Amino acid sequence: MNRRVFLLSLPGLAGCSRSAGRRLNVLNWPEYVAPETIPNFEREFGVKVRYGVFESAEEMLARVMSGNSGWDVVFPTNYFVQPMVELGLLAPLDHSRLPHMGVLDRRFQSPPWDKELRYAIPYMWGATGILYQSTLAPAPGAWADLWAPGFRGRITMLDDPAEVIGACLKKLGYGLNSEDPSQLARAEAEAARQKPMLRAYVNEIVRDQLVAGELLAAQAWRSTAMRAMETAGDKLRFVYPREGYPLYADNIAILRESKRSQLAHDFIGYLTRPEVAARIALTKLESTCNASARALLPAEMRNNEALYPPRGTLARGEWFRPLSAKAQRLRDRIWTEIKSA
Amino acid sequence: MNRLRFWCLTPAGALLGGLFLIPLGIIFAYSLLTRGPYGGVFSPLTWENYSRLADPLYAAILWRSLLYAVIVTAICLMLGFPLALFIARAGRRRNLYLSLVMVPFWSSFLVRTYAWMFLLRDTGLINSALLAAGVIREPLTLLYTPFAVILGLVYGYLPFMVLPVFATLERLDKSLIEASADLGATPGATLLHVIVPLSKPGILAGSILVFISSLGAYLTPDLLGGGKTIMIGNLVQNQFTTARDWPFGAALSLILMLVVMGLLVPLQRRGSEGLL
Repeated sequence: MNRRVFLLSLPGLAGCSRSAGRRLNVLNWPEYVAPETIPNFEREFGVKVRYGVFESAEEMLARVMSGNSGWDVVFPTNYFVQPMVELGLLAPLDHSRLPHMGVLDRRFQSPPWDKELRYAIPYMWGATGILYQSTLAPAPGAWADLWAPGFRGRITMLDDPAEVIGACLKKLGYGLNSEDPSQLARAEAEAARQKPMLRAYVNEIVRDQLVAGELLAAQAWRSTAMRAMETAGDKLRFVYPREGYPLYADNIAILRESKRSQLAHDFIGYLTRPEVAARIALTKLESTCNASARALLPAEMRNNEALYPPRGTLARGEWFRPLSAKAQRLRDRIWTEIKSA
Repeated sequence: MNRLRFWCLTPAGALLGGLFLIPLGIIFAYSLLTRGPYGGVFSPLTWENYSRLADPLYAAILWRSLLYAVIVTAICLMLGFPLALFIARAGRRRNLYLSLVMVPFWSSFLVRTYAWMFLLRDTGLINSALLAAGVIREPLTLLYTPFAVILGLVYGYLPFMVLPVFATLERLDKSLIEASADLGATPGATLLHVIVPLSKPGILAGSILVFISSLGAYLTPDLLGGGKTIMIGNLVQNQFTTARDWPFGAALSLILMLVVMGLLVPLQRRGSEGLL
């Protein structure tokens, strides 16, 4: 920060102290809003927003678990909504204070993690699939294709136990959230068989390596895939695997500890306005859960099959669910075994 | 005098007590508790987190981490000792060389590790140069290998070896070296029988620093190893993130500390006796 910028920001700092009572603390994933989303909200409501970020859902939960974290609005992923309700961390929403909320997509009007939308409003949804070079023939269409000998050394899987074990379970025809030790043992055997063929277990960084053509295919989050395809154009394609694939949704919720309930509702109401939600979906290349917002998107985005797959494709998806402590422990042991094999 | 001593010790003592001993106590307390279903810790008290460590799976990971740390320390010593000797004898340029050793610390370790990814990847600088020169036809697989992990660790921790070794070499009494030459020793013999033994405290300090740092590394195995090997640092990290098992993570990190102390305290004692 050079001196001029610092001096220019002084009036802003002064304003900050004046409106100390009017500050909203928002804890979200990094860059999960459009560039103008927060400034516009601050101007319209005459408040300051402190926007904090977390890198994993677990980190978010750990940070708010104490019950006096200082945050007001958080963005729990769907499988964390129920646990957070059980831990008494979320405040019930007052829908009469969310007047302009657009119509939610049918799948999100009564989602399995919060059937009456009492605690959380679905924000964006994501999925995991396969990102691959469009020159590949035949094109991969199933998780099982990531075990093909021809890909040796040129594919990667995500560095995430739920994703890798999940893909193996799906390949075997089991449920994504299986807690059955014998199914999990078979999934582990699949992962162990695949490991020698893998270049690495990596997350977002895979984007560059696919764009550069170093890899042929990768298990990838749809959000990573969208950004890769934005850079590489037709060189890359994304597919929702035939055996089924994981789905997740991020939600907006208010912490029970928040003393700014009205302002927090205003913020949720603002984010769920169709035109605001549409701008976010457009700039972030994410899929909005808000049907009215989707209707405002340009046609090539509204009809993009990676962002908004047809009903048949969607039906193959399965939501991540919270797991029992016992199953988590078993899965961590399996993951450690896969990693140290 | 006593008052001066008191005031000299207080800031560091408060720092150590407040920011090291108390957190260590919290880690110990956590390690005796039961995990919550979604992270966090709950009563009842249990030794179970320690008894789980008897699992050969975790012993194998610890063993692998120790092996990596020993290899990295040995390479750092082989590279660092000659470099420190060179700098110590560089005369007027000494400060320039010393600052060159420390320049990497000006940027974050994470950023520098990413830089290595760009050097080592298939379309990276090294492979492009070798391909252009016609030395290879297919890119070499450098990134996401054990080689890359060791390279990254050696790169990151080499200054921790060079600086302490340099500090002892610099203070070395030159007349001893002259005496060795006067008594007919070849330069090689002087190095082996005079310089190396006299710089033992520096070698020991540097080796301990490099060894401990690489034993606990988790960033490098993840980024340069592509997550294909798991070291003890990654195992601890996983407990606090994906596994949501804080008590087990706490127990793991305490045991790691004990292992390091068990290995190093006797070594250090021997080293300081050698000094006398």
